Amino acid sequence: MAGFLAGLLDATVAAATVFILAGLGELISERAGVLNLGVEGMMLGGALGGFAVTVVTNSPWIGLAAGVLVGMALALIHAFLCITLKANQVISGVMLTLLGTGLTTFYGSDWVGERIDGFAEVPVPLVGQYLVEIPVLGEALFRNTPTDYLALALVPLTWYLLNRTNLGLELISVGEDPEMADTMGVSVFKLRYLAVVFGGGFAGAAGAHLSLALVGNWSNGMTAGQGWIAVALVIFAQWRATRILLGAYLFGMLSALELRSQGLSVSLGPDAPLAGVLNPIIEFLLNTQIMSTYPYLATILVLSYAVIRSNSDRLAVPSALLEPYSRETD
Amino acid sequence: MNVEVDLTARESTPRWLAYGAPVFTVLAALAVSALVLLVVDVSPVDAYSMMFYQTITTQIGAAQTLITTVPLVLAGLAVYLPLKAGLFNIGAEGQLVIGALAGTWVGLNVSLPGYALVPLMFVVAGLAGGFLAAIPAWLRARYDVNEIITSLLLSFVALEILSYVVRGPMRGSSGNFPQTAQLPAAARIPELFMRVHVGLFVALLVVAAVSLLMRRSRLGFEITFMGSNDAAAVQAGMSRIKVYLLVFVLGGAFAGMGGISEIAGVQGRLRAGFEPGYGFTAIPIALLGRNSAVQVLLASLFFALLFTGGTNMEIFLGIPAALVEVIQALIILFLITGEFFKRYRIDVSVERGSVTPDTAGGDA
Repeated sequence: MAGFLAGLLDATVAAATVFILAGLGELISERAGVLNLGVEGMMLGGALGGFAVTVVTNSPWIGLAAGVLVGMALALIHAFLCITLKANQVISGVMLTLLGTGLTTFYGSDWVGERIDGFAEVPVPLVGQYLVEIPVLGEALFRNTPTDYLALALVPLTWYLLNRTNLGLELISVGEDPEMADTMGVSVFKLRYLAVVFGGGFAGAAGAHLSLALVGNWSNGMTAGQGWIAVALVIFAQWRATRILLGAYLFGMLSALELRSQGLSVSLGPDAPLAGVLNPIIEFLLNTQIMSTYPYLATILVLSYAVIRSNSDRLAVPSALLEPYSRETD
Repeated sequence: MNVEVDLTARESTPRWLAYGAPVFTVLAALAVSALVLLVVDVSPVDAYSMMFYQTITTQIGAAQTLITTVPLVLAGLAVYLPLKAGLFNIGAEGQLVIGALAGTWVGLNVSLPGYALVPLMFVVAGLAGGFLAAIPAWLRARYDVNEIITSLLLSFVALEILSYVVRGPMRGSSGNFPQTAQLPAAARIPELFMRVHVGLFVALLVVAAVSLLMRRSRLGFEITFMGSNDAAAVQAGMSRIKVYLLVFVLGGAFAGMGGISEIAGVQGRLRAGFEPGYGFTAIPIALLGRNSAVQVLLASLFFALLFTGGTNMEIFLGIPAALVEVIQALIILFLITGEFFKRYRIDVSVERGSVTPDTAGGDA
């Protein structure tokens, strides 16, 4: 049981990184007033771009950079459509996800089955090699891939950027009240472009982590809806960087649970009361396909709970989210 | 020299632009897709001639296009109706799949003569699709939970359930494939010609009914009103829960019927991945045809052509069918660009002569 728990926690940390990176990217974009529903497509782009470049260059670091760039490039399309052309953010985002899925399936078929040496797990410098020995928690906390550490470092950095720097405050002002920000001399267009493209880079990094560190190969549609869970995560986190971390571990554990429990068989002994009724139910609930639905169902439940619990004045949704900005000239 | 770009909102869209925009959109998307083809060394001329000309001009190609139109238009309406009420149902895929599953179960387990069994399968498929769609609608209307995310996540759930039943409880006894047994003859939708089945009439009837609902009925008016200004609609005494549930449940029911028509009309048995994501294609279809149910039908025909042509390209030229997905997404992205030109006029004026920095950086 301790072995199972240690494995579960280790897998949770690795799975959570995808949600941390994609969630932070979405957060930055939404705080500037632009909803990005293209995360899933940008993650796929980042995963394939990162993987292909790693196969060619043999360096996961260059691959990670490539994944970030692909995410940024796709986000640039979203920024152009939503900010310059004032298009509907929902439509543009959904279409970018479809575009990302299509393009990666189209170009990705050549890369299926290729192998790479992705990011290896390394212990935390200095103290890590001793702390890894701690039972249950050691492996999960102190031996991880570089992208896991990167994601963890980005949480306080994003918090600091948004809440303690001029740039962050300007970015938030653009998402809350663009007219006011404009009169104060903040360039609404420039900041929104910056936030969306930056956020896309985070999504690309999340995808690259998936293909380079978590899985180590490329397969079509490998993000499997995790980008959408990241969008839900931002609502769950009430647009706060620190709560993204909490949510990411929650959703990460659900994904990990699904992976780790495959082939797990639990049943009551024949003498246990109601064994005849309960055993088929347990078997059904532990079925591989049925377990795959849990992260999605849990996301819906957790999201609903978060929205219902928070009364409308505490809900921190950026006021100008979904609203294109144009200077009134007449 | 100072170049000044000025955006003015148009008061009305010129006629040539209103009709020209969709055509230009499609052409621009095909042009960009040509670049995608060139990267993999395929001549776009060959590809497009295979995709369009040789698909329409052969009997099999034309028939296949009609067959594919049926699930597409039904799923398209599942996105179109909520869109009219200002909601996004991007879970038509799940509603279609769950309808196919429920309808197939009835077809395999109920023995009735065909004239009663097939309608029963459609009803059950519609109920299943409608039920799945009711969840996001209710959560949105009652608690303001974002319906985009919930409807999509429920699609993933439906796809996993499909994958579960064809491996477990509904798996057919013959062979090792994860699929159900063949539907009995009484549970098959009658064929009209060249594998085109009666489901086509069902789809056309639904299009006519939705068209009537939106144009002629009070409910249609309520839906449109809610879509343009929900606060005002609630002020006027309309119920958000009623309208939101109605558009989602009706839409989900249509998608579910599209699912069973694909199984009982074309494939004959249920298996995982029995369709190439028609429910996702429904999104661009509804956006392209968002003005009326008839436009949804036309958009479905066009996307059915893309699918059929895409299959031809895959078979004869070895081009991955994923290209169809790329073209679909590009069409919509260009359509969004076209919207901009419909709404705004761009005036570019070039002034010569000295301009002080003050006026150059001005707040025009």
